[in-house]
Amino acid sequence: MSITIPIGPQHPALKEPISLKMTFDGEIIKDADIRLGYNHRGLEKLFEGKSYVQNIYVTERICGICSHSHTTCFVNGVEKLLGIEIPKRASYIRMLIGELERVHSHLLWLGVAGHEAGFESFFMYTWRDREIVMDILEESSGNRVHYAINTIGGVRRDIDETQRTRILNSLKILKERTDYYKNLGTTEPSFVARLSGIGILPREQALSLCSVGPTLRASNIDMDVRKDDPYLAYDEVPFEVSTADTCDVLGRTVVRIKELFQSYNIIEYILRNLPAGDIKAKVPRKVPAGETVSRYEAPRGENIHYIKSNGTEKPERLKVRAPTLANYPATVAMLKNGFIADIPLIFAAIDPCICCAERMVEVKDTKTGRAEIKTFDELKKYSRDFYKNHKKIKKDTVWPF
Amino acid sequence: MGKKLGFFIPELWRHIFKKPATVDYPFEKLKVPKGFRGLPVLNTELCIVCKACERDCPAEAIEIRTILEEEKKFQMTIHNDRCVHCGQCADVCPTNAMTLNNEFELSEPSRWNMKFRYAYTRQLRKKSDRNVDEKDKEIL
Repeated sequence: MSITIPIGPQHPALKEPISLKMTFDGEIIKDADIRLGYNHRGLEKLFEGKSYVQNIYVTERICGICSHSHTTCFVNGVEKLLGIEIPKRASYIRMLIGELERVHSHLLWLGVAGHEAGFESFFMYTWRDREIVMDILEESSGNRVHYAINTIGGVRRDIDETQRTRILNSLKILKERTDYYKNLGTTEPSFVARLSGIGILPREQALSLCSVGPTLRASNIDMDVRKDDPYLAYDEVPFEVSTADTCDVLGRTVVRIKELFQSYNIIEYILRNLPAGDIKAKVPRKVPAGETVSRYEAPRGENIHYIKSNGTEKPERLKVRAPTLANYPATVAMLKNGFIADIPLIFAAIDPCICCAERMVEVKDTKTGRAEIKTFDELKKYSRDFYKNHKKIKKDTVWPF
Repeated sequence: MGKKLGFFIPELWRHIFKKPATVDYPFEKLKVPKGFRGLPVLNTELCIVCKACERDCPAEAIEIRTILEEEKKFQMTIHNDRCVHCGQCADVCPTNAMTLNNEFELSEPSRWNMKFRYAYTRQLRKKSDRNVDEKDKEIL
């Protein structure tokens, strides 16, 4: 006999609202259904009403963790439409902030993995070490979370000599700490036993379900936009694509730790080979008509922005495909035949950012199943009528205990 | 590498004797780094009312009103309740009249306390400056 239990939209295991409708047979998950739309913010409509310069800061607010990824993806696309080449120093600084962001995101994820696996002290230590990166980012960009370093045609702030030496000194501490976590992740038997063998995603399935980022690389597929379709100056920087062949949550942890080391090497390379010159090119406010697709390897996976311009100061359309959305089909496959107790860990292993992936809401009649287009006033009227009819039931509800 | 139970214990033991990683915030404050983007402040003596900040502000937090056209009197309202501290106003300002200071404790019991108003007379520009500004209009 199978039973269906809703997990979410509000649930202590989830950090953001999302509905997981689970069908269980005993303690084993037989089917999972993911429902989105609880965190819709209407950002894509907002982009259409703002100029390209304003949109840099709006795209930054799609996500709080990969904020630089979204702006770089957007700005790279706009520069492609404008047909300009940014100064070399600017693209190196963009890469530097991007890699620092990857370090902070992966350290954050390691902490979350420790927290979900019941290893609270691991969570505390990784988050303490993450503060080193956050301090570097605050010092070089002016803010801890929304760095706002990008502008169309380059970057807004330069890296000076004192910052350069400070980052290089901090990297030594970070490398030492990450090396410790690497040993811990492969040696501590209780931690390894909790992570290995759960959330299995075989290689073929990872490919056919179009998963991205560390989830894909943990299934032994070396796909990375930085290597496959280099943007900025990634073709000049030596680095390797990190993979793991265990196809489980332990593999995803290993991939992220390996990527941390790659990021440290990239940061060191950038700082030692930072070219001199301007940091910003002059660009026109109006963008010529056309459309483009921009790809970026965010810490969570491939990030895609589609930009359509109509020759004015404002974009006609800006479509965002955040990496979490691409990982949802794979999550359903990973959850199947797993245990109830593993749901938070499997779900956390894709590093979900739910509000990043919320791009549209469809108003659907549950009885007929038909979708409708409604204006905001109509929707307000509908909700008022709906609650008027349901008031009586709510009022008379008796608390079951 | 062999699996070892209690790999974490030496680390935990060392941390018993370490100083706390956090600070007692209201009594002890962390140093704000140079170049921090805090509260936007207008230097009314330098403002030429080009309205570039009003145009580029992504949060529509800057509002410039004309009080008296003949006397060139203007009023700028900075809605700090809407401000996202991106610093685009300071970047786009041709005379560096707008700057972001180091202040980060900006919470207020009411959002109406967070609206800063500056009433001022527009400063005259030199002819040479004007030429540069017109060029800037075309290029960002």
